[in-house]
Amino acid sequence: MSTISFDSSLDPILSRRAAIQKIAASSIARRKVYSKVAISVCLLCLVVALIPLVAIITYVAAKGIPAWNADFFTQVTKPEGIPNGGVWNAIVGSLIIDGIAVAASVPFGILGGLFLAESDGPAAAAVRFSADILTGVPSITIGIFGYIVWVKTVGSYSGFAGAFAIAIIMLPVIMRAAETAIRGVPVTLREAGLSLGARRSTVARRVVLPAALPGLLTGVLLAVARGAGETAPLLFTIFGNQFFQANPTKAMEALPQAIYTYSSQPYNDLIQIAWGAALLLMVVILVLNVGSRLMAARLRRERR
Amino acid sequence: MSISGSPSPGTARRTWRLAVPDRTYRILLGVAGGIFAALLIAFVVAMATQAVPAFSKLGVSFLWGSNWDPAHNHFGVLPFAVGTIETTVIAVALAVPIGLGTALALAYLAPRRLRAPLSTAVELLAAVPSVVYGLWGLVAVAPLFRTTVEPQLTSVLGWTGLLGGPNQGVGLLLAGVILFIMVLPTMVAISRDVLAAVPHDQVEGAMALGATRWQVLRKVIVPGARVGLLGAFTLATGRALGETVAVALVIGNSAHLAPSLKANAGTIPSLIVSSFGEASGTQLNVLFAAALVLLVVGIGVNALARVFVRSVKRSGAASVTVA
Amino acid sequence: MEIPEKAKTHATSGLPVMNIHTEVTPTVQQTPSPPAAPKSRKRATRATRVLALATASAGMLLAACGSSSPTASTSTSTTTASGSDPYLAADLKAGGAQLTGAGSTFVQPVFTKAFYTYSSKNSGVTVNYQAVGSGAGITAFEGGTVNFGASDVPMAAADVAKAPAAYGGVLQVPDTLGGVTLSYNLPGVKTGLKLDAPTIAGIFAGTISKWNDPAITALNPGVSLPSQPITTVHRSDSSGTTYIFTDYLNTVSTTWAAGPGKGKSVTWPASSVGSAGNSGVAGSIKSTPYSIGYVELAYALQNSFTYAAVKNVAGSYVTPSLASVGADAAQKPNVSSTDFSIVNQAGSGSYPISGYSWALIAKKQSSAATGKSLVAVLDWLTHTGGGQDQSASLDYVPLPTNIQTLARQTLLMVTGPDGTTPLLTK
Repeated sequence: MSTISFDSSLDPILSRRAAIQKIAASSIARRKVYSKVAISVCLLCLVVALIPLVAIITYVAAKGIPAWNADFFTQVTKPEGIPNGGVWNAIVGSLIIDGIAVAASVPFGILGGLFLAESDGPAAAAVRFSADILTGVPSITIGIFGYIVWVKTVGSYSGFAGAFAIAIIMLPVIMRAAETAIRGVPVTLREAGLSLGARRSTVARRVVLPAALPGLLTGVLLAVARGAGETAPLLFTIFGNQFFQANPTKAMEALPQAIYTYSSQPYNDLIQIAWGAALLLMVVILVLNVGSRLMAARLRRERR
Repeated sequence: MSISGSPSPGTARRTWRLAVPDRTYRILLGVAGGIFAALLIAFVVAMATQAVPAFSKLGVSFLWGSNWDPAHNHFGVLPFAVGTIETTVIAVALAVPIGLGTALALAYLAPRRLRAPLSTAVELLAAVPSVVYGLWGLVAVAPLFRTTVEPQLTSVLGWTGLLGGPNQGVGLLLAGVILFIMVLPTMVAISRDVLAAVPHDQVEGAMALGATRWQVLRKVIVPGARVGLLGAFTLATGRALGETVAVALVIGNSAHLAPSLKANAGTIPSLIVSSFGEASGTQLNVLFAAALVLLVVGIGVNALARVFVRSVKRSGAASVTVA
Repeated sequence: MEIPEKAKTHATSGLPVMNIHTEVTPTVQQTPSPPAAPKSRKRATRATRVLALATASAGMLLAACGSSSPTASTSTSTTTASGSDPYLAADLKAGGAQLTGAGSTFVQPVFTKAFYTYSSKNSGVTVNYQAVGSGAGITAFEGGTVNFGASDVPMAAADVAKAPAAYGGVLQVPDTLGGVTLSYNLPGVKTGLKLDAPTIAGIFAGTISKWNDPAITALNPGVSLPSQPITTVHRSDSSGTTYIFTDYLNTVSTTWAAGPGKGKSVTWPASSVGSAGNSGVAGSIKSTPYSIGYVELAYALQNSFTYAAVKNVAGSYVTPSLASVGADAAQKPNVSSTDFSIVNQAGSGSYPISGYSWALIAKKQSSAATGKSLVAVLDWLTHTGGGQDQSASLDYVPLPTNIQTLARQTLLMVTGPDGTTPLLTK
């Protein structure tokens, strides 16, 4: 029996492997340097991405906090020269308009989500496609759509017109979030309900929706955050109002609209009110966003 | 509850008699879903109805006419279309590299415990309302541009001929930068998710071969997430195309083709914001036509993006180029 | 290098993100224990949450729809008594009107203050005025979405023809008198920089592009002007203020008349910054050094702007002020909605860039009650003892007596739906 000896220089594969190892060993230092540099660049990009966030929050806070006093939250906007102005009418208007928008879009969104989660055919694909597209439509076009559909036909500006436009913005978000949440409910639950003889609607109402509720709430919060911050849909639909107006059939004021209008005024006290309103809107939306993320994280942990 | 047979004890809760028959339920859901499709169709139809008179009165040439002068019945929207494209290009050109770098950092490079909070922080950029971005850009960033950024840029890059004219602060460049900040969270969030979803076995294989971290990122992970990154890029573009209020506040609102990056310009959304209130007749139709063009382009871009992002999920194993 | 944890949904776009190894529908193995097995306490919490959500939405809906009836005066400008504010009214009269108006930013400061004062005296009537620009105001008025429009230039015959037939014609009521200043932001240069007509036309046409151009230095010996480029600021929206300003330039400069001409919107050079509203232009001037723009006098005074002394027809350089604008208006006592231009009038004390602003109302009001409130408010607005008392304190010139008479005569022509009975009873 001859001894088996390996001679790397004769075997092509082994010699190739040895050559690669040699190159790798000689270049490892250089590659490590490249790697360190590139990774630092990426981390630098991360820092660059965070700078605007810090900058804008601190700037708006610095400008807006001086405006926050008791009058700011309880008084309506006053003309230049009259003291003790506030944004109470804008806050109430935003609450009413966004509330109506949510009340209109949540049922449709949840039903749409159920539809998408329970069927997979071409109809569902078409609906999913249209919802995806609606999220990408420029909000100014939704604003002018609201104008011709609601304002021109009714004949006057109103809170309902604004709520209609905001609802169109919220709808796809709620529907996609509902679909995700409902798909996240284990099939076993649905099957168990059906096997007990319950109708599909009963299963949906008493099993699936309650189980998907945290995800649904997260989606609703995200949709509200998205809709509450939009300005363009409101510009041509609600008209604005310096007086207190809680009747959504009339022209109303809303926070984004108030910011847009009062920030361009040349009077310092009105500008300060605009910054205070900007801070208020930003804080509310940030809280909604962070809150929805915390809720999503908590539900993910609960599910494990 | 219409259970046939007797329910087992313990589950005999009375339900409301609102349980609808299954077929009604399916129809109800179908109607709710159909409302979305109907809404989109109604939307496009409404836009088109208002826009068609512009085409019938002016032909198609106003889409590339460069003279916007409604008082004398000149309705060329080219300056605004070009302005839209220019601001989008600036925004996306900045967002792609920085967004990719940030996404890589968030997916693989940052300290583990910081990843979730930092990701949330970057995504919070998307939560700032557009009007606040515009205000901040106008009041805080524009003076900075006027005094520092634009002079520096002009001294470094002035030879390109793109940076002529006075340093005004407001203008195309500022609008592009503000747009970049606004689309960055979209780019980062989706890129991070697709980068994190690259199959582990390929990553581990590369590491086993002795690749450095950067080599793994560059040769395995980024190519593996190629399609999803393309989707993120197109979504960011779609978002940048449609942004209205922030751009209108910082772009300077000129009706001419911008001769340089520092000059004032207009975009189609900012045109609509500033002239919709006073438009009537042909001008109104032209505005709707411009909105329709923007809508169609935005829909196309978004549809493309969704196709890319969805194909990542369906494709099973991403393809990898081995360098 | 660690493998990161995957997210379940994009927080930004809301798309579900699935691990590409799994199918779209999650598999059964992923769930260790069905949460539907829980005890009644958890179920009660969930039910409570649903109930809370439903109640909240229902409550909001009810609050929105049920709390206010159409004509109730919930929309008063008053809040519950914080008695120190002298403008609070004590009584809430039943019945009233909620009027809406849109238009000129030229008049916004005086309108909003005047309507606020009116509402505090007659708490049943609120006038919601939004300054969207003269052009937009005319369009809104023609569209029927507001009760009255406001424009610094009366509607031309072509615009009047576009008004709905139900209006039975458009009445145009002069309501304010103001001047257009040329405000500039020149560090170190005080108010009163002398400019004449050709120079102003050159600056805004772009032919004079630096501050130390010979044309400007020739008019201002002794003033050290920087060699910086001039940034002109114009109105990006359709504006009556632009009309008054370009009307002036049109009258005094043939090159301007041949070029941009006069109008609510003209073509400005590419380097000119466009801003929306008088307030937008004021803001741009304030924040851009070496800029010059045209803003209404009230905005210039209340922002402590520096503004130019303009050479008038008599050859004297006049700074805009209540007195000089009034002097210019006094040179042409007989204005009407068809003959309204008062720019460049004679007289050594006249400020040449002045103009009236007009309220636009339908001749035949569709609702007698609303129409009555509307003419009452406008009548109060245009007379001494009423809205005109606010003018001087807000840096507007009170309307001359004969113009107040013209206003009343015009308002007397407003009728109710029947087309015959005048609504104004004075």
